[in-house]
Formats: sequence, C-alpha cells, structure tokens
Amino acid sequence: MKLNSARGGASGVKLVLLLFFAAGLCLVYFGVWGLNIYASSGFSSASAFESVYRLSAGLDRDWKELLSPALSQLSDEKQAAVEECAESLLRENWEGRRKGASEELDALLFDLKASERAETAQKLLYITYQTGGPKVSAALKKALGGGEHAHAILEALSGENAALPEAVSAAVAKLGGSERQAMLMQLFYTSLASRSQLKTDDVNSFKKGIRDKDAQMAAFRMIARGEIGGARMFVIANARTVVLCGVLLALDALLLAFLMAADRHWRFDIKWLFILAIADFLLVFQVTPLAYMVYKAFFPDASFSLETFRRLYTYPLNLDALKNTLIAAFAAMLVGTALAFPLAWLVGRTNLYGRRFFRSLFVLTYMVPPYVGAMAWLRLLNPNVGTVNRWLRALLRLSDVPGPLNVYSLPGLIWVLSSFYYPYAFITVSRAMEKMDPSLEEASRVSGASPLKTLFTVTLPLMTPSLISGALLVFVSAMSCYGIPSIIGSPGRIHTVTTRIVEYVSLGQKGLNDATGMAVFLMVVALLILFLSDFVLAKRQYVTVSGKSVSPALVDLRSWRVPLTVLVGLFAVVVILIPFGTILLTSLKIDVGKSVLAPNNFTLSNWKTIFGRGETMHCLKNSLLYGAMTATVGIAVACVMSYLLQRTRIRGRKLPDFLITLGSGTPSVVIALGLIMTMKGSFGVNIYNTAWILIVAYLIKYLMMGMRTVVSAMSQIHVSLEECSQITGAGWLRTMTRITGRLIFPSIAAGWFLIFIPSFYELSMTTLLYSSTTKTIGFQLYEYWTFTSQPMACAMAFGILLIVVVLNFVLNRLTKGNFSI
Amino acid sequence: MSVITIKGLTKSFDGVPVIKEFSEVFQDGEFITLLGPSGCGKTTILRMIAGFEFPTSGEIWFDDKLVSGGKTFLPPEKRDIGMVFQSYAVWPHMNVFDNVAYPLEIKRVPKAEIKSRVEKMLDTVHLSQYASRLPSQLSGGQQQRIALGRALVSEPKLLLLDEPLSNLDAKLRETMRFEIKELTRELRITVVYVTHDQTEAMAMSDRIFLLNNGVVQQSGTPDDIYNRPANPFVADFLGKVDFFRGTAEGGQLRLTDWGASLPCPASARSGAVIAAVRPENIRMHKAGGTGVPGVLERLYYLGDVTDCRVKVGGILVRVIADADARLTFKPGETVALEVKDFMVFPDDGSTAEQLKIRT
Repeated sequence: MKLNSARGGASGVKLVLLLFFAAGLCLVYFGVWGLNIYASSGFSSASAFESVYRLSAGLDRDWKELLSPALSQLSDEKQAAVEECAESLLRENWEGRRKGASEELDALLFDLKASERAETAQKLLYITYQTGGPKVSAALKKALGGGEHAHAILEALSGENAALPEAVSAAVAKLGGSERQAMLMQLFYTSLASRSQLKTDDVNSFKKGIRDKDAQMAAFRMIARGEIGGARMFVIANARTVVLCGVLLALDALLLAFLMAADRHWRFDIKWLFILAIADFLLVFQVTPLAYMVYKAFFPDASFSLETFRRLYTYPLNLDALKNTLIAAFAAMLVGTALAFPLAWLVGRTNLYGRRFFRSLFVLTYMVPPYVGAMAWLRLLNPNVGTVNRWLRALLRLSDVPGPLNVYSLPGLIWVLSSFYYPYAFITVSRAMEKMDPSLEEASRVSGASPLKTLFTVTLPLMTPSLISGALLVFVSAMSCYGIPSIIGSPGRIHTVTTRIVEYVSLGQKGLNDATGMAVFLMVVALLILFLSDFVLAKRQYVTVSGKSVSPALVDLRSWRVPLTVLVGLFAVVVILIPFGTILLTSLKIDVGKSVLAPNNFTLSNWKTIFGRGETMHCLKNSLLYGAMTATVGIAVACVMSYLLQRTRIRGRKLPDFLITLGSGTPSVVIALGLIMTMKGSFGVNIYNTAWILIVAYLIKYLMMGMRTVVSAMSQIHVSLEECSQITGAGWLRTMTRITGRLIFPSIAAGWFLIFIPSFYELSMTTLLYSSTTKTIGFQLYEYWTFTSQPMACAMAFGILLIVVVLNFVLNRLTKGNFSI
Repeated sequence: MSVITIKGLTKSFDGVPVIKEFSEVFQDGEFITLLGPSGCGKTTILRMIAGFEFPTSGEIWFDDKLVSGGKTFLPPEKRDIGMVFQSYAVWPHMNVFDNVAYPLEIKRVPKAEIKSRVEKMLDTVHLSQYASRLPSQLSGGQQQRIALGRALVSEPKLLLLDEPLSNLDAKLRETMRFEIKELTRELRITVVYVTHDQTEAMAMSDRIFLLNNGVVQQSGTPDDIYNRPANPFVADFLGKVDFFRGTAEGGQLRLTDWGASLPCPASARSGAVIAAVRPENIRMHKAGGTGVPGVLERLYYLGDVTDCRVKVGGILVRVIADADARLTFKPGETVALEVKDFMVFPDDGSTAEQLKIRT
C-alpha cells in the first residue's frame, strides 16, 4: 500500500511538499489581498445598517399604514410589541445576528392569518433590503411590477431552469455566480414589491441570503463600477475562504514534511491523506471554534483582560449557577455511583432473579433523552399538581396545597440528574466486572471469606479505578447537561452554567462574550476530568491474566434473593416504569391535573395533532435526515480511523484520534457556542443557520461513540485472519470487504446507531444552532413543552422513546444479539 | 488431612448431564488427579468439591462431615480448603505478603502469628525476598507460588488444584510439578489435581481418574492406567499407541492388515478384537531375525530415540527404536518386527469412530 510517488528519491518529495507549501502561502496572500480590497471598498454591514435604519425611519408612517389592517386584529399591547420587534428586526438583519426579534416577531404574528403573516414579514424584509442590493433600472422595475414573475425568479435563484421574462434574462445574461444571485434576489424583491404572496419558508431563506452575501455584494459593486474582472472578484467575494484554504494547505504540507522527516525516509504514504483530511476537518470545525472561544474569553477586546470573568463571577446569578452546577453534578455523581455499583454487582455477580432483563433495562435508559426524564419527573413532582405529591397529600392527610415534594429545587434537579446518569456508571462498572477474572473472587471465598467480605475486600478494591472513572463520567455528563436543568431549573429559577450560557447567547453579540466566560469554565473542568480518566486512571486499571472461560460462580443470595429482587424491581419501577408511564398517560390527557381515568379526560387528540401537524413531521424528517447523515459520515471516519489505529503503525495516526477524543469530551453547549462564534464566515466557512452546522456539531460530539465500537471490534480480530486471506492471494480490498468487513459488520452497524440515536434527539446543541428551517424533533418537543401544550409534548416524547426502543431492538436483531445499547 | 467421600455425584447444566455418576473415596494424604480431555467434566467435579457448583444429586463428605447433599450445602468459605486456580487469581491490589496473609486474617489469627506463619510459608515457596512486591512485578511462576502459598497457609485439610501449571512455559512447568509434589508430600495433605496433561498426571499422582464425557473410564495408579488400560480410550489418551483390527483364536492373534499372526495369552477372549500396540514395545531386528517381516520406509531421528515407519502387509507400523537405529538401519531395507507387548480389547464397533484404528 505504500505509494512510492518519489522512487527517484527524497528530493522529489521534498520539492513537491515545498510547492504545496508555497501554493498555500500564495492562497493566503491572495486572500489577504481580497480582504483588503473588501475593506477599502467602503462597504460594510454597519454602514448598510445605518442607511437602512434611516430609510426605515423615513418609511415609518407608510410602513405602519401598510401593516395596520393586519395589526388591528391584535391587542394594543401586541401591536406595540410588533412595532418594537419590527425595528429590532431591521437592526438585526444587518448586524448579522440571529435570534431574538425575528422569532419573537413570528411568535407575535402567529395570531394572524397565514397569508397576512407572510405578507407582513415580507414587507418588512423588503424595506430592509432596499439599499443593499444592486440597482435595478426603472424599465425593469416596471416590467416586473405585476409580481407574476416572482415565482419564476425564485426558481432561477434556487438553480433551476425557469422560464424567465425576457427583461430579466437580459438583465442577468452577462452575470455569473454570486453576482447573478444578488441580481436575481434584488429582482425578486422588486417583483414582489407590489404583491404579497410569499411563503414563510421563502422569507426565512431570504433573510439568511441577505446576511450571507455582504462580501459578494461588495465585490459585485466593484465590478459594477468596472474596477475588477471575474477571477479576482471570486477571490474578493470568498477572501476568507481562500485564506483558510491557504492556511490549511501550508499547514498540511508542513505536517507532512514533519511526519516524513520523523520517518527518516522521505516516502509518501497515501494513508497520510486520510489522516490529514480528518485532522483538517477537526481543525476547522473543532479546534478553531474552541481556541477562538478561549481567546475571546481572555482577550474580549483584542487585549488581555480578565474583565469577562470578573464581571461574570461577581454577578450573583452566575455565581449561583456555578454553585448549583458543581453541587448538582457532585451530588448526582455520588448518588449515581452509589446506585450503580450495587446494581452492577447484583446483576452481574449474583443469582438475582431476572438479572439479564434488569441489565438490558438499565442499559436502555442510557439511550433515553434526558429531557424526557425531566418532563416525567416534573409531572410527578410538581408541587401543586404532581401525581406523587397528590398521593402523598392524600396518604399523609396534608391539606396545604404545595408540596410536600418540589421538583423545582436543587434536590429535585439532583434526583432527576442521578436517575438519568447512573447508567453511565452502571455500564462502566458492569463492563469492568465482566472483564474481571472470576477466580479472583473465588480465591477469596475458598480462603474463607463470605460473599459480603469478598465484595468489600476483593471486588470493590479491584473495581475502584472503573468506579472512579464511571463516577467522573456521571459528573461531567451531569455538569454539561442542558436538557434537564432547562426544563426543571428555569421555572424554579435554579440556574446552571449551561442554562446561563444559552441565555447569554440569546442576548446577542454582547451575550456571546459573556457566554464564553462560562463556557471556558465548563470546558476546562470537563477536559481536566477527561484527562484524568483517560490518561491517569486508565493506566491504573489492573490487568489480570484470565484463565479458561468458566462461567463465574454466582453468589447465592439465599434468603436475600427474593427481597433483593423485589428491591431492584422496585428501583426499576421508580426510575423507568413510572416516569415513562407518566409520559404516556399525560399524552392521553386533556387536563393534566386530573387522572386519565377521570370523566372526559381521555383523549387521543394530542397524538392526532402531532401527527397531523406539518411542522412536526418536518422536524421529524429533519432529525432523521441529520441523524442519518451524521451517522453515515461518522461511521466512515470511524472505520478509517479504526483501520489506521489498529492495523497500521503509520506516524501521525494518533493526531485525529486525540482530537476526536477531545471533541467528545467537550460539553455540547461549549461546542455549539464555539461554532456559533466562528461559523458565520469570519473564518472562511459560513454554515451558520444551515443543517451543516448541526451535522458538524453532532459529528464532533458523537463520532467517538462509533469509533470506539469499531476500534474495539477490530482489536478483537487477530491480524492473522487478514494475513491468511492475503496469503491465499486476495488483495487488500478483497480482504477488507470479505474478511474484516464481514467480521466487524455488527460493530459497524452498532456504531452507526450509536451515533444516530443521540444525534436524532439532540437538544443542547440544537437549541443554540437551529434555524427556522432546520428545527429538529428534540427542539420542537422543547418548544411544545415550554410554549404550547405539555400533553402534546408528552406524546412527542413517547414517540421518540418508541423510536429509540425500536431502533435498539432492530440493532439487536441486526447483529444477532451481539449488540444492543 | 482428611478423607473425601463422594457418593453418587451427578451434575447437569440446563438438563444436559455433565457428570453422569461419580462415587469414590479419596484417602487421607492421597494425591488424586482428575485427568481427561477438555469438556470431560473434571473441573466440574473439582468445583463441586470446592462448593462453587451445586451438585444435581449426590453427597460429598469431608471425613464424617457432610458438606454437600440433600439440603446441606456448605459454601466454599465454610469448607476449609485451599485452592489454586489456572489464572493464579492473585489479587493485584495486594502485595505478596497480604495475598498470603489473607486466609489467616479472615480466620482472625493474631497478628504476630500471621506474620510468622506467612513468613514461613513464603520461605517454603521461595518468595521471602518479594514479600512487599505487587504481583504485577513478578513472573508467572512466582505468581503461581503466591497462589500456592495462599492456598496452603491456613493448613487446610484438602488442596484443590485446577490446571495450575497450564499458563506456565514448558521448563517452568516441569520444575513446579516437582515442587508441588514435594510440598504436598511434606504437608501430608489430601490433594485433588485437575489437568489435561498426561505427563503431569503420571509424574505426580498416587491415583489417576481418567474421565471422558462425564464418566470415569478408569481409575488406578499411573502404572495401572498406563500398562493395563481398561479400554482403547484410556490406552490412546496415555502415551503413544497404534490400533489394529484382528481376530483372536486359541492363543493366536491374527492381525488382519499385517497378514501375520502373533502369539497371545490363551486367556484373551476369542473373536473380533482390537489390538493396541505401543510403538516402543516393538523391537526392530535385521532381516531374518524373530518377528514379522517388513520394509523400513522412513527414519526420523529425534535425539533420544528414532521414530521409524515400517511397511508390514498393507500398512505402515510405527516403531520407536533406540537412537542408534539410525546408524544400523537404512531406509528400504527389510527388517523383522518383534512385538514385545500389546493389549487386546474386544471389537464392539463403537470405538472405531473415536480412535484412528488402522483397518
């Protein structure tokens, strides 16, 4: 497989590398040139904003007249709110900020009829767009006045061959690329100026279009003034991307040179291309955002300052959030581990009834979205209408309405976090127990120690490293969790670091800086723990020689067998059956405060509504699509990495491995925040508000899950099986597909699902990265829960649960029982 | 030092019988070996004696104390035994001293006494200078000695060894073999030893139980089992052997493929038989000497002996001659084979599948 591109010797390879390095530097040079031109063109979002704002102020009167028929349907209060929103929308569109006013406006206009809503939004947009775009001649304006060509132009914009009116064709005939797009967009709006039929979706995509295009428009203006030709325009329009490509190219050439130099013989190996490709991807989408975030936290205004931290951590709300996060995560760790160890021992080492069943049950919880649990516990422990509280009040004959238990509290948060993160520790400890040589325990028994004594003197000490790493995993997961505190914490004013970050982000540009301060704290703690458990604890694991595979003698619980089984069963009922049952029952209720069996309280309408609503189905489609794309790309990378790690000794293979581990250890909210700050184009990549930003975020967070599965499967296949295939004359490709591929296929399938499932219902990152067209089912569920209807949200939650369980079952079948989650 | 009495022991896993019926008395101080191919049930018997498996039926007595049977089932910790595992099962989180001291600590032996007894035991197993090391810093053989010391330190009445040497390399295995034997002889302890290695069994045991498919094929001293096997399986499992079909009639054994007859004791049964011949029991003479004539086809010089193949009648017969045979005989020459000793089993047709009988 060694590709000897330079049989002629090292000098040829060195020359090629030098050329690539030089090419990279050239690209950087061109890019910087383009940036300078752009800067000197006098065009900037800020100045555009100023003129638009002035214009809109001038239009103020007409604008209100235009809107008044629609607005008059709203209450006075709402009218005022709409006006306020509309103004900030104008400002936002040119600042390139995303959230806030536009969504708020959508929500405010939600009461209007669909056509009026779209019309209003579109008119607002028209105003904002007027000054930024290319000029349209008066004749053309007239030709387009009727608005009947809008649709055709729209089609042309999306790249399809549309039947354009002659005037339009002539206007765009000589234009190409983004220039043509800009002109078409302007023509589209012109054509719509007097007409108003436009779908909300179109409005959304054009909002984005305006924001994305300012570099192109600057370039376009220069061309319009006859200053510059095609290729240079391209460089100007994409200056940052050109710089990024140049930097990557130069960096890759350097890295390659370094790897070859370390290898001593200057020989090119094609495997390096894969390593570099993966490393480049992670460099752009993971390292840059995180590094930039850290930079921003310490250099808020381009000079070193701890002002961000000082401001953040002297603000009592943040200090509270910090305290809550640490207390909740620490307590969840203690509770979770204290639950996990006895459960793992009872299920793995004793003759508990139904131990296999319990095992798969506890492991399955691992795959349930945490916010679903939060919703369930909220329904159960709500101080006023919570089911458990009502029972307790009846049981204890308490009359005072709130209480006795309150989920909206720190203990409530801790309980829900523990009940959803204990499987992390359970799985870690169970695995270690399975790997432990059972004769270590038997030797203790035969030495005269009782099962209990053995548990404490042999099993527990041997499990300590795994127990600690399981505990740390619970700590990090609980600390980085957004779903649970956002559902339980916000109504109870229990803030955590993650909820504060999301709140700060929603405040806009100023908030972003403050969010970085919180995020850096979260990231540092998480990475410190990752380092501890991956590099320190892993080395302390006891390696024991295992003998023949005698199934371990199970500890006979004797008279404790029934009581302990009942206890474990009870635990399963409390943490699994009751919460999920509650979700199902709530989804069938009209009045959530009453029993489902109360007269006239049973309904299927919630289910009908969610299945009937186009938006929900659209979100579901998005989720499935993004999940599948993430999983497919992820598993391909995982397979390549597994091969490189397990079957080659190529230099540099550890680099992507390290980055992937780092990414999966970074809290979701932090990843998302980093992407928000860097993926808007200023670093040469603009995937903001697209599906790609979600997919990239999921990949960074969950790629590791798939990779670990495939790597461990490959490590179990002895290399001699492949060598044997090659000896018989099969080529590398055939060996991989016929032998290795077949053998590890179950793991590849499992890895695919392990990436797919969490991406499918992801919430923390989606909350920060979605746009109105890329909402996912997890986010939709969150919106329903917070704004619309809890029973409907429960119906969706149960639907998601069903999908996860079914997928798990499919996975189990597909891999003949070797894998389920 | 105790007598182990086993009565009608059986064991099934999920209805599949693994031990069909096992009844035996292990005498005080006896070195017993349970020998057999993997899956024969020898480890299951050992684990039932230890108390790690629950017998399906039957009784196990230690001296006059019932430890397993009927409603009685003493857990392993109550049986006062020592055990050494194939994987050593040395606790990696305790140092050598603590590993060996563990059984005494469980018994709440006073600290000072623990110290002296453990030190004495470490001395016995040649580990005194490693007392404070962690097991991971020691070699496999040393780890196995820790396990042995730990099993013997509390002076149990019974020592169980479950393939203790199979994870060691060949040289070390031979040394440890004799160390274990000497140690248990000094302590005059009853030992039950499980192995699939026939040499180990021959070298160490007072009595061997050869098992196959959960049934004892034969029990007896190493000499009994090697020289007077009860059936072809036993003959085949221990040592080298070739089987030949034949018929016995009035003091003459006619070997079908040899095309020749050999004298055999008149007491041997008549009719279809299988003759088992150990290659070292055939003597090879120059042409014209006593015995059945044949042609020497090949010679393999193995250092201490020469492994020969001689064509007799239609088939190749294996002969183990002394080392000098490579000088005195040349391939292709005619020789005479004198069969010094052989075993005769009735041919009931059932053994043919298991054994490679030359027909």
